[in-house]
Order: sequence, then C-alpha cells, then structure tokens
Amino acid sequence: MPDLTWTIGKRMAFFKTLIDHEVTVELKNDIQIRGTLKSVDQYLNIKLDDIQVVDELKYPHLSSVKNVFIRGSVVRYVHLPAAAVDVPLLEDATRREAANQAGKGK
Amino acid sequence: MTTGADHSVGKDFDFFGATAKVTNAMEEEHQRFNLQQQASRTVRAPVAQTYNTNYAYQPTPPAHRPARTGYEKYKEEPTELQIDASIWGVAPKKPVTPVAVSQPPATARKMMSLEEVEAAMRAEAKQAPPVSLPSQAQSQPLYHAREFQAAAEASPHSRQEKIDPIRQPIDGRHQRGFNTADYQQPAAQGITHGHPITILQRPSKHAPSTSGSVMPNPISQEQQTPPIAPTQILQNPNRSSSEGNRMGIPMHPIHKSQNSIPRGIPQQHQLSDLSEREKAAFVEAEARRAKRNHKIHLMSGNNGLMTPQDKSFITRIQLQQLVSATGDPSEQGNEAALAEDFYYQVLSSLRAGQRPNPNQPLNNFAQTYLFQTGTRRSGPRHHGPQNHVQRMEQQVQRAVEAAKNKPKNKQLVIEGSLGKISFSNAKTPKPLLNIKRTESGPETNRPASGQRTHPVSQGHNAKDTLRDIENVYLTLMKMEDLTRSMPPPNELNDQNVAEKQDEFNHLNEQLWNHLRVHEPISSTIVHPFISFMSYPKGKRAIPRVFRYLSPTQRTTILTMIVIHLDQLDVVRGAQVQTGEPISHDAATRERIELFSLAVMPSLFQLLNESDLDIVTGVLGLITQNLSVDLVARTRIGVSMLTLILSRAELIKQAGQASEQSWQQWVATFNLFFNILEPTLHNIFPGTVTSGEDIYVWQFLAAIGIGASPDEQQRLVFAVKDRVMGTVSMAKTLPPDMAKERLDNVNLFMRSIGLDVELLN
Repeated sequence: MPDLTWTIGKRMAFFKTLIDHEVTVELKNDIQIRGTLKSVDQYLNIKLDDIQVVDELKYPHLSSVKNVFIRGSVVRYVHLPAAAVDVPLLEDATRREAANQAGKGK
Repeated sequence: MTTGADHSVGKDFDFFGATAKVTNAMEEEHQRFNLQQQASRTVRAPVAQTYNTNYAYQPTPPAHRPARTGYEKYKEEPTELQIDASIWGVAPKKPVTPVAVSQPPATARKMMSLEEVEAAMRAEAKQAPPVSLPSQAQSQPLYHAREFQAAAEASPHSRQEKIDPIRQPIDGRHQRGFNTADYQQPAAQGITHGHPITILQRPSKHAPSTSGSVMPNPISQEQQTPPIAPTQILQNPNRSSSEGNRMGIPMHPIHKSQNSIPRGIPQQHQLSDLSEREKAAFVEAEARRAKRNHKIHLMSGNNGLMTPQDKSFITRIQLQQLVSATGDPSEQGNEAALAEDFYYQVLSSLRAGQRPNPNQPLNNFAQTYLFQTGTRRSGPRHHGPQNHVQRMEQQVQRAVEAAKNKPKNKQLVIEGSLGKISFSNAKTPKPLLNIKRTESGPETNRPASGQRTHPVSQGHNAKDTLRDIENVYLTLMKMEDLTRSMPPPNELNDQNVAEKQDEFNHLNEQLWNHLRVHEPISSTIVHPFISFMSYPKGKRAIPRVFRYLSPTQRTTILTMIVIHLDQLDVVRGAQVQTGEPISHDAATRERIELFSLAVMPSLFQLLNESDLDIVTGVLGLITQNLSVDLVARTRIGVSMLTLILSRAELIKQAGQASEQSWQQWVATFNLFFNILEPTLHNIFPGTVTSGEDIYVWQFLAAIGIGASPDEQQRLVFAVKDRVMGTVSMAKTLPPDMAKERLDNVNLFMRSIGLDVELLN
C-alpha cells in the first residue's frame, strides 16, 4: 500500500474533495468533533460547520458551539466518509506523487 | 506606592526611581483622559447640565491641587502652545497679552476634539458665531471636570507625598530661570513618553481675565489644537501665585501670553483658509458622490443581462490574460495540473462528469476509475459546459501560482548587506539536507535485486509480486496519460501519431513483462501471475490492464487464469458443500466479491468476443487439467463454467460455429459432463433455506441448454432433491420470497423444457 500521507500532505488536494462532506476530527486532546468540512489550508487547519462533539456529555462546554476552526497541529485523526473517497484513484494519485518525487530526487 | 515612598526615605537623590513611578502615574492618567475624551465626545449633547456640574466640582479639588501643582509643573511639558508662540515670534503682541490672556474658552478649546472643531466651523460657516461659541464654552468645562476627576482618582494622597521630593528640585529650577525656554526643556526631558499634557486651568481663576476681544478667535484656536495633542497641565492658582511670589516676577501674565495670545493672530488667517478649503473639499466630495450615484443608477438598467455563466466566461478570459501576462509556470496546463494534483483533478472531473447528460461519452478517467466498459473516448479532452467552473478554478490556481512564482530569485540581497536571505515556502521548502542519489532509477537502488539481471520465477516472493503490481500500475498510468494525449485518429500529423504509437507499444511490452504472464508454468511453484492475482490490487488492475492489451494477450491471460483456476485464492479453499452452511471467512468472501466485480466482467467480455475454438479449448483445459469437482464447488469456478457454457450456446444459436468446431465442442462438453455429474449434488452452497444458490441454478441452466436429452435426464436426477426441497420450502415463505426462489429454480427447469408449475 502506498503511503497515503504523501498525497494528503503535499497539497490539501485530497481534503478539497471532501469539502461539504461530514467528517469527524479527532484532536490530540481526545475530543472528537463531527461536522461539515468547510475548508482546509496548507497547514491542514480545518474549518467545520454544524459541529457536534461526539462525547457531548464529557465536553458540555462545546455543546453550544456551532462552528470551529481547528489548528492543523492539534489534529490527531480525521475520520473520513468512506463513500466520498475513491480508493483506487487515491492510490493512483499516490503512485504518481511517489513517481514525481523519485523523478525529482534524481 | 507607599512602599515606594518608604524605600526612598533617605534616598532623596534617587530621582530616577521616583520619576519612573511618576511617569507611570502620568501615563495612567493620560490613558484615562483619552478614554474619557472619547466618551465625552458622545456625551457632548447634554452640555448644559454638565456645565453646571463643572462648576460644582470646583470647590472640592483645591485640597489636591497644591500637591499636584508642584509636581505637574515639573512634568509640565512645554505645551505646544508655547512653542507655537515662540515660532511665530509674537513679540509685538505681548503688550496685548494681559488683556486677551487665557480665557477659559481658550484653554478649554485646547481639549476639543476634531469633531467639535468641525461642528464649530460649520456653525461659523452658517454665520452664527455667537451660537457656536457658547456651545464650546459649555463643552469645555465639561472636559475640565472629567479630567480633573480622573486626575483626582489617579493620584491618591499618598502619591502626592511621595512626589514631594521631586517637587523641590523642580521649584528650584523654576526659580533659577523661569523663562519659557528653560522651562520647556527640563519638562521635555522629564517626560520621556512624550505624552501630551493637558493644562487644567481652573475657570474660576481665569474667568476675570476673559475678554470679548478673543471671542472671534475660538474657532481658529480649536483648529490648531486638535493636531496638537491634548496637553493637560494642572495649573493651580496656588502654585502660580506662589511661584510668582517667589520669583518676584509677574509670571502669570507671561505664561498666559505664551499660551493664548500668540495663537490668536495666525489663527485668523488659518481660519479663513481652512474653512474655505474645507468648504471646497466638501462640495467636491458631494459632487463626486452624486456623480457616482448617478452612474450606478444609469448602469442599474442593465442589471441581470449576463448570466452567471457569461460572467464566469469573461472571468476566465480575464484570468487567461492574467496567466499569460504573468507567465504561466505550468505551461502544460491541464497536464501539469494533473501531475500536481491528480486526485483532486480527476475526482472533480469525475464528479462533474456524473451530472451532465448520460449520453455524453465518459472521459477516460471515468473509464478507468468508474470501471466503465464500452465507448472509447472520443477526443483528447472532452469538456462539458459543467466543467468550466472547474477549469476556472484551475486557472485561478495557476494564476495564483504564477503570481507566487513571479519573484524568480529565490534570494533576497539587500543593498549594502553582507549576506543573503533565502526564501522558502510550502512548495519549495528550504532544503536542509542535500542528498545526491548515486543511482538513477529506483530499480537499481534495490540492493536485493541488484545481482540478478533477469528475474527468475524461482525467486519470486511476495515482495517481488508486490513490486510487479506497482510497476504494472505505473505503466498503466503512463499508458493512460499517453492515450489521453493521443490526438484523434483522423489527424494528419502521422509523425506524431507514429511516435506515440511506438511509445504505446513499448509501454505495452513493459506492461506485459510486469504481468509475468509469460513465465513458464511449473507444477511446484505458484505462477507469478497467479500470485499477482492473489492481491486485491492485482485483481483490481485486471480491467485496466485489459484495455491496453492486444486480444492475443488477453486470451493468454484468460488461458492463464483458467489453467490455474484451482490455484486462485478465490477457488482454493473456497469450496462449498451442499447442506452445510457456507464457512468462508470474511477475507475470502471479500476476495470472491472483488474477483466477481473486477475480473469476471473482463473475462466475460473477452469470452463474448472469442469464437468457439477458444471456448472449447478453455473448457477442455478445465476438464483435462483441473479437478472439476473442486472448481465446480466454488462460486467463481461455477461462474466461470457458466460463462463458457453460455457463450458456446450463444455461438451456436447465432450460427457462427462451423460444423467441425461444434462437434469438437460437443465432445468436450460430454467429457466435462461426465466428470461433473458426481459433483452435481454437491455444488449447492448451504442449505435449501440459505438462498444463495442463484448462480448454481444459472449454471445448471447453462448445462441444461447444451445437454443432450440423456444428459438432461441425468441432470434432473442429480439435482432433483434440491429442486423439490426448494419448491416445498417456497410454500412456507411469503409470496414474494417464494416467487424469487421458484424463479431461480425455473431458470434451470425452463432450460430443459420443464416448469416448476408442473411439480405442483
């Protein structure tokens, strides 16, 4: 399996395709926030709309928050909607990326 | 504060420490003052009331005043007013000073805000000076009051005491020479932060000196003052008088003259100048605004003429120009964008492609990634109208990139500097490590495979297989790129086409090599191609591979798969036993599912294009080389057999088969049937109730069609139990489910000229 982070990291191309899809962002402090992805930038900062905290009872202070901007560095995982990801295509993109990198490295 | 005072006991010389504290206090006061001034601007309206309060407060402050004055004087900045005076060299005016000297309005005006000034000017413009004046007079006291309160708050008694030591030297200085220049300098030094100081002149004190002569001036004074930062000096009658006494000089008049008189004269010029200028400016601005509104109104008649599409079209043209003007770094346009951003570009083109009319041929991305078989692409680039948004997006992206890349020099050399500053950005980070690769390709970089020149199947392990798969994919992508850039076949530049064709053939050869189909078949070692097929991504590659292979190559693959049918992971260990629940683990199920989705359609299509000889050959291979029992008891095996049998039947019905080849087929079929017969009752997956046996009924139907009457009878006999079981079971099911089951059975029954109905 090619290294997917390669493609995801280089540009936020991959995340751009997920805009307006619902994702769950798991932060490094264990809070999981589910919301509609609004934008992602090069640092993988994330903007979410209509958010909901997964464990709402544990983090009641977030229950009234409607949208968030998450600094990319505090994100641990982004749970993606499987239906919105074209795996073979992503694999190919990764291969291309790897090939490009190898080409540049020469 | 008090502690500070304690420490300073016996350290009178420590002016600095004390000064710093004082400075802080001053700063606080000023902040307070500024805030209040803002507040007061808004409160300006209710002047009359505040006016009263101003005067009301006066009795109270005196207590603080003495202390303040001493210290304030020291701090006292040579107010700009004084500077002004000196600049203008108002010597001749001095005589007049005593008369015109600081009136409350004048001092108060110093603190007026710009708005007030404007208001006043407007008032004057309306030729109602008397009106404006009172308002100013009223508002000013208000400031006094506020400032004073602020000051009072900020300076509790304790501080005043502390300040005392400072005051002494100051006073001394004053005594030495109380001429303005001297006076100003120390003050300027003392107040490091250069805070403007407001002079709080107590109205009560100055009131007597107010004279009507100055009245016309107020406005001009105000104009001057705003630019001059509000300077607040607490002037106390006590202080000034005491100073005056001490010095024995009529200090007061002098001081005042500096403050107000000199200003009076130049102001009048300014007043007229400014007001005219202001008026002109105002009129001009008004005219401009009116003109603009008129224009907008005129244009509004054309609102809605352009559709969003038109707009985006024009935007695109503009962007194109922008891109060409800035110099497009990615000259290749679409291709470059693809290389940079493959996933996004393709996915969005696929998504965009899903919306337009379904008749439109899919672009080749769709063919590749949606597993669409059928129409080949028609042109190199097929852009529907829906794509223009996306194209625009790309162009914006390129434009932005071009702009970003514009400063080509990666380094900044500042004139006269010794070093360079090199930039780095997200795209081209500053390289921290510079490692040169010794070898050119990744191929040669592998230490393990370095020795052997021609990979032999002997040493083919999982790693090699995986590498093969990756290479297949890489080659595939190159071929796909090539196909995309291939000009339409009717184009005349043969040279170009021939070149591309050569390259295509070359890639095809590469692809074929990576597939390892040509490797010799050995009985002991799993064939590399079969290992290839055992990986999910290997299976997924098949439909794409098929599109770039010649018919011969495809047939070879088919043969290869058929020969090793019993070795395929979807057959080996995937046997079912009639009457026993299906016991495949999840992984096997997934593999089978994937195989039937990815590989079977390709094989099906291939078989449907093959003639009977090949079909016969394939069946012969299965019959002679493989264990039919094992194959027939798997779903994939059964599906494969169904494909073969039904294809033969179709060929026969289409009349495409020669008599000879048909005879051959019948012979092979008979042989196959004989071998299969004992297995027949075992090929049903699960029990009667499991309902996963539709593919078996299809298979039986395929056999039944081609079978001789004798064989049909044997067939019925072999599966009779299952048929009866299903029919009786169907009676216990709800009607729709029962119908489904019976229909499955009927697939088979009809093929041999029977019907389930006959059994009831």
